[in-house]
Amino acid sequence: MIAIDNLVVQFGGVKPINQLTATLTAPVAGLIGPNGAGKTTLLNVLSGFVRPVQGSVALNGNGLLEMTPLQRVRAGLRRSFQTEQVVEDLTVADNLAAIADHIVPSPQRAEAVDRALAFIGLRPVADKLGQSLNLFQRRLVELGKCVIGKPSLILLDEPAAGLTDEEGGALRELVLRIPTEFSAQVLVIDHDVELIRAMCSETMVLDYGKLLALGPTETVLADPDVRRAYLGEL
Amino acid sequence: MASEHVAQVVPRSMSIARLPMSLLQVPATMIVFAGVTVLFANSFWLSAATAAVALSLSVVGLAILYGQLGLVSLCQFALVGVGGWVALRVGHAFHPPFEISLLAGGIVASIVGLVFGIPALRLRGLYLALVTLMLAGAFQIVISAWGFPDGGPGFLGRADGSGRAMLPRPDLAQGAVAYFVYVCVAATVGLMIAQWHKLAKPGRAWALIRKGETVAISSGVSVLVFKAWAFALSGFLAGLSGALLADNVGQLDGRAFGAFESLNLFALAIVGGVYNWYGALIAGLLLRALPALLTDLGIDGYVTIGIFGVALFHALATAPAGIAGQIAGIVARVRIRIMGGRAP
Repeated sequence: MIAIDNLVVQFGGVKPINQLTATLTAPVAGLIGPNGAGKTTLLNVLSGFVRPVQGSVALNGNGLLEMTPLQRVRAGLRRSFQTEQVVEDLTVADNLAAIADHIVPSPQRAEAVDRALAFIGLRPVADKLGQSLNLFQRRLVELGKCVIGKPSLILLDEPAAGLTDEEGGALRELVLRIPTEFSAQVLVIDHDVELIRAMCSETMVLDYGKLLALGPTETVLADPDVRRAYLGEL
Repeated sequence: MASEHVAQVVPRSMSIARLPMSLLQVPATMIVFAGVTVLFANSFWLSAATAAVALSLSVVGLAILYGQLGLVSLCQFALVGVGGWVALRVGHAFHPPFEISLLAGGIVASIVGLVFGIPALRLRGLYLALVTLMLAGAFQIVISAWGFPDGGPGFLGRADGSGRAMLPRPDLAQGAVAYFVYVCVAATVGLMIAQWHKLAKPGRAWALIRKGETVAISSGVSVLVFKAWAFALSGFLAGLSGALLADNVGQLDGRAFGAFESLNLFALAIVGGVYNWYGALIAGLLLRALPALLTDLGIDGYVTIGIFGVALFHALATAPAGIAGQIAGIVARVRIRIMGGRAP
C-alpha cells in the first residue's frame, strides 16, 4: 500500500506536484495523466531522485522519504525507465545479475537470476548479449530486473512503449502475475489507456500536479473530468 | 508457481559458470607471447618487450576507466611515475625483496589514483579530461624538480654525481630473460585481476554506471564505492607498471614523465582497444616495441608520434574497439565458420 500525504514538489516557481494526497491499495495500480501532469516526477519522488519540499509517502506503513535511493532499493523498491536501460555488452543473465549482486545474498544470487529469467521466459537467450535483443526482449529484461530480490513495490514507467499489441498483451500477462508470484505491488504509468484498463484494478489520474481522480479503473475512466482533461473530450 | 519449479532444475546461470574459463585466456596467451619473445628476441628487443609488458598493466587500468566506466583520465602515466618513485624509494631505503617495493608502488599509486579520481565524482567527459591532464602536468613539474631516488640520502633519495645506485633486480630474476619472464608473470596476474573485475560484480556495476547513474542507483549500485574502486584499481595497476619499469634498468628518468606521455598512453589505449584485455598488451607493444623497430630500421623514433596520430584517427573513425576489437571480430567470424554457421 502506498500512502501519499499532502505531497508538494517545487522546481523554482513551478510545482509539478501540488498538495497530492492519495492511497493506492490495488495489487496493480495505474497512474495516468496528460504530458506534464507530474507522473514521472511522482515516480522520481517514490524512487528518491526528487526530494519533495513537503508531505510524506509511506510504503506499507514505512516512511519512504527518510530513506536514500539506495536504501529504498534494498527495502524492495524497483523501477523501470521510459527508455529501456539494458546494458549492450552484458548478457541477459548478467543484466539481471547486475542488480542481484547488490540486493540478494551471494548464495541465493544465481537462483534469483534464474527465477527471473524463467519468469520473463528469456532462459533460452540468457547468454546472449544485450545488444542482440529486440525491443520486446529488452522490455522483458527490464521487467526481470524488477522482480529480482524481494520486491515490495515495482514502478513501471511506460513498460509497453513501442511494443506491438501482441507483445503488449504478453507483457501485461506477466505484470498481472507479479503480485501473487512475488508479493509485490505494481504501479504502472502509461499513456495507453487500454493497457491501464486491462491491467489495473485501481487508477489515479493526475493533472497539473493535482489529483484529478482516484478509484476503480472503470469508474475513473468514465469520470467526465478525466475524459475532459486526459482523453480530450469536450 | 511453475517458474519456481523450473528454477530449481537449473540453479546456476550459465554466464556465472563460464567465468573461470574466459579468465584462463590471459595466462594461455601470455605463455605463448613470452615463449615466442624469449625464443626470438635479442637483448635490445627483450628490453623493449619487458617495458611493453610492464606498460600494458597501466593501459589495462586506463581501459577499466574508459572502457568500463566511460571516464577519460589523462593522468595515468603520472601514476606510473608515482609507482616507480615509491618502488625506488622503498627499494633504496630499506633494501627489501623487490616484491615488497613492487607492492608498495602499487598501493601508493592506488591511493594517489583514488585522490586523482575525486574530480570524477562530479565531472565527466571533456572537463574530467582537462582536470586529469592538469594533474599530469602538476606531476610533471614535481618529478622534474625531484627526480627519481637513486640511492641518496633524505626523503628525495637523490645522490648527485657520485654514489648513484641502481635498484637491484629481484633475486629470482637477475638476467634479462629471467626479468622479462618475471614481468610477464606479474603482468599476467595484474591482467587477470583486471579481467576478473570486468567479468564479475564490479564489471556489472561499472556497466550500469556507464549506462547512467540513476539507472545504477535504481539497481542498488553504490556509485561512489564502485567509481572509487575503479580509480584505486587503475592506480594500483599503473603503480605496478611503474615499479616494474623502474627495475627493468634499475632507474627512471624524471624527464620521461611529462604530461604528454599520459596523453600518448590514452591514445594508444584506444588504438590497442579498451574492450578486450589483450588490447592493453597491444598498446604496450605499440608504445615500446614500435619505436624500437623504427630505431632498428634507422628511422627516428619520434616518427611514431605521427604514426600514433594516424592510428588514433583510424581507430576513432572506423574501429572504436581498436585493434583488439578487430582481432576479436576475426576470431568470432572464424569460430562461426568452424561451428557451421551457428551464431555465437
